[in-house]
Amino acid sequence: MVLVLALGDLHIPHRAADLPPKFKSMLVPGKIQHIICTGNLCIKEVQDYLKTLCPDLHITRGEYDEETRYPETKTLTIGQFKLGLCHGHQVIPWGDLDSLAMLQRQLDVDILVTGHTHQFTAYKHEGGVVINPGSATGAYSSITYDVNPSFVLMDIDGLRVVVYVYELIDGEVKVDKIDFKKTTATTHSAH
Amino acid sequence: MSREIVEEESPSLTRVVSPENRSLGALRSVRWRVSLSILPPSPSVDDLRRETADSRRRYAGLRRRLLVDPHVPKDGGSNSPDLVMDNPLSQNPDSTWGRFFRNAELEKMVDKDLSRLYPEHGSYFQALGCQGMLRRILLLWCLRHPECGYRQGMHEVLAPLLYVLHVDVERLSEVRKIHKDHFIDKFDGLSFEENDVAYNFDFKKFLDSMEDEVGSQGNSKKVRSLDELDPEIQTIKLLTDAYGVEGELGVVLSEKFMEHDAYCMFEALMSGARGSVAMADFFAPFPAAESYSGLPPVIEASTALYHLLSIVDSSLHSHLVELGVEPQYFALRWLRVLFGREFSLNDLLVVWDEILTADNSKLDKVSGNEEISGFKILDSHRGALIVAMAVSMILYVRSSLLATENATTCLQRLLNFPENINLKKLIAKAKSLQVLALDSKISSSLSTFDVAYSRSKSAVSGRNLSSGPISPNTPLSVVADSYWEEKWRVLHKAEEPRQVDSLDKLAPSGKRRWSEKVRLVLSRTESDPSAARAGKYKKGHRSSVRRSLLEDLSQQLGLEEDTEAGDCFDVSNIEDRHSVEGQVEGQDDTSIASICTAEERCDSGSGASVSEESSSIFSDPASSGSITNDHENDTEKSSVASNLSSDGNDDRHQSDLEDSPLPVSSPPEDALLSYSEENESSGKMVSASKESRHLSGRFQWLLKFGWNNVSQEASDKGVSNETAKSANRDSKNNAADSSTAAGASRPTSQRDVVDQNVMGSLKNLGQSMLEHIQVIESVFQQDRVQVGSLDNLSKNNIVGKGQVTAMTALKELRKISNLLSET
Repeated sequence: MVLVLALGDLHIPHRAADLPPKFKSMLVPGKIQHIICTGNLCIKEVQDYLKTLCPDLHITRGEYDEETRYPETKTLTIGQFKLGLCHGHQVIPWGDLDSLAMLQRQLDVDILVTGHTHQFTAYKHEGGVVINPGSATGAYSSITYDVNPSFVLMDIDGLRVVVYVYELIDGEVKVDKIDFKKTTATTHSAH
Repeated sequence: MSREIVEEESPSLTRVVSPENRSLGALRSVRWRVSLSILPPSPSVDDLRRETADSRRRYAGLRRRLLVDPHVPKDGGSNSPDLVMDNPLSQNPDSTWGRFFRNAELEKMVDKDLSRLYPEHGSYFQALGCQGMLRRILLLWCLRHPECGYRQGMHEVLAPLLYVLHVDVERLSEVRKIHKDHFIDKFDGLSFEENDVAYNFDFKKFLDSMEDEVGSQGNSKKVRSLDELDPEIQTIKLLTDAYGVEGELGVVLSEKFMEHDAYCMFEALMSGARGSVAMADFFAPFPAAESYSGLPPVIEASTALYHLLSIVDSSLHSHLVELGVEPQYFALRWLRVLFGREFSLNDLLVVWDEILTADNSKLDKVSGNEEISGFKILDSHRGALIVAMAVSMILYVRSSLLATENATTCLQRLLNFPENINLKKLIAKAKSLQVLALDSKISSSLSTFDVAYSRSKSAVSGRNLSSGPISPNTPLSVVADSYWEEKWRVLHKAEEPRQVDSLDKLAPSGKRRWSEKVRLVLSRTESDPSAARAGKYKKGHRSSVRRSLLEDLSQQLGLEEDTEAGDCFDVSNIEDRHSVEGQVEGQDDTSIASICTAEERCDSGSGASVSEESSSIFSDPASSGSITNDHENDTEKSSVASNLSSDGNDDRHQSDLEDSPLPVSSPPEDALLSYSEENESSGKMVSASKESRHLSGRFQWLLKFGWNNVSQEASDKGVSNETAKSANRDSKNNAADSSTAAGASRPTSQRDVVDQNVMGSLKNLGQSMLEHIQVIESVFQQDRVQVGSLDNLSKNNIVGKGQVTAMTALKELRKISNLLSET
């Protein structure tokens, strides 16, 4: 019963002032065990805020991040799942599933989390899941102006992960759920 | 087979609870379960099994309901759960996730304690399985009782219960090993495995095995029939037969259902199983609803402990009190965990054997009219044994306690109870003390309690008690009502010839007096209570309350004159009244009347006087309510007390303090009555009389702390009662009594004298009494003057007489106060 929060592309303070209040009210410290952030926070204050929600924070570098020392990609293991994190502007075409799948194979992860497109997507692909949590603040992107604030919460429980998607549509929080079951337990890869 | 066995077993099982019962003797868990009323004390194994099964079913249901797994969809199949509500981040308190997180919080708290449980027996208690069981049990109990929550120490109450079950299950497996034959299913003389391989009923094999058995019949060790087994083994067999009643669920000693059984035992122990002692009370930080003393139950129990100690060994008790060692410093731990931390586990099991065998049902206190005992914990055998056990433990280390002059050392000794102790001796002593503790005189006498408590609580501010709801069931001293009646009669004989129509209420007809009093009160309402009395002025609003109450009363009485009930009502007394009211209806009437009169007459005047009045009122032991006269007496007294703004109270106090009926009240009452500006104390006095039945302890508290609130309640009640009663009573007496305040006061004083409450006397009370006596005397002087101006000659006469009586009473009061001051 591990709760992992995945979000990114906040673009604070350049493109957005803050998280939507309804999201902020939901994010209370104590419930979430890990936070993975795709990038583009952009300033340190946002990192500090996320740290208050959960001490275990993982961030990858987005192109507008002012902190230059975040890694480009990151992998971590939570429970039986391997997670991969990358901002996504490096993977072209942006948001393309096949390219992202290449990255997933390269990182050898079950769940790949990327951003940059500011659109929520979740694909089940080749025994793995590719998730894009969208933009948590609803900041505009170079692709589109029409962005709904969204983020993702993953509930990892043994071999099963439940992905809750929180979207702010017309001022209301909408929640959706995706189930994903892993077929085999994680084994330490030979290579 | 089982039926016959059962019947044969019955005789041996008939006395399941007695320790001498050999068949269940070794099965502690079953014995405890019977003591805790989970299992019926019935000899039949079937009943035991049925109850076991039921209790387990209850627990299983509870677990299913309360243990939340948010992954499992609610309703087992709602296809589209409302995700907005049911997501993990939902702020909705009803969502399954919300409940899940709350449970997780609770579990964290419980875990903090569990990880430190019995490290010396860690092999059992720190095992994951056991910890998991303990955690679940505690979690479920706390969810079931959200008002208690989880408190540190509950885990230590639970741990021995689980241990006992574990021990029994181990015993069972031992027995199984030894008597394999009886515990294995054998059909056709062959065990299951052999049969399954090829069920062609192999006659040959069968015959062979039969021969084997026949051949071994000679072997005396092989016991074939159940009858030849030890009765204990027989019991075990029956209790654990998987084919018995209720099948597997009814197997009384079962490892699978240890958690269920432990939960049931824990629940029974904590809730007291409708008995008197409920462990959960010890964890409650607030006083119980019907607490007499307004203390948290554990503090009350600690005080009971000291109370018993003071009776048994007063030197040790005073030594401890001098050092400032309050009972709850060590008793809190002792009581909350039922001595779990003072003894080793095996010793503890022996101690708990004793405690649990003691009956927990509430005892009927047969002590006159007292309905309530002083200490709730002493209301049952079990409670008394617990207290006795604690005292016996203190006595065990008596020498080392007496040897030290340092409070810290004392506490250290008490908190680190010696390791190698003669447990048998300790328990035997506890049992003898238990008898003492149950003695009604002790348990219901709060005098020492008050003394002890007040000493220890001298610093407590009155605020604490000021507005606390005073339960009407405060226990009073155990002085027989007849005693007070006697006194009252003696006093009243002097007043017999008084005219009824005069305000003199000395006449035995309580009603008349009562009504007279009321009239008096009413008539007095016009007169502004003089502020002559020293003391604090009661709040105006309280006066208005009283006023309205009196107005009601007057209405009922059909009197028109009174419109404003005494201006200055010391509402403080009302509170007391209220509590007193609860006691006896009849009394209330009379007392109310007197209260009214007294109240009206009294200035709201000095709060001190009021408080004292109230205290005195309270202290006045209410004579048996059944007797109207007594009532009147009480009321008279109370009214007198109230009348004497400051003096009467003192007198009253004195009398109470001395635990002897003092005719003191009469003089003060007289004085009061003669006072036109006397305080409403009469009202209070009435209530006081009622209240005298109530807690002397309360009285003490009132004394110590602000009277105001208390009296307020009391007076309210008193007034209301009076109102009710007056309506019934004679409303005809519209004599001119009203004019003579003295008359009213006199009767009341006389009456008051009769019922004095037996309350512990306090030095300060003595001193205040002295002061009051002085005031009374001065008042008397005034009264004389006033009386003289009355029109009614007869009244004057009466007044004169009353004054004389009052003076004598005052003198007595003075003596008493001197005595008190010297104590």
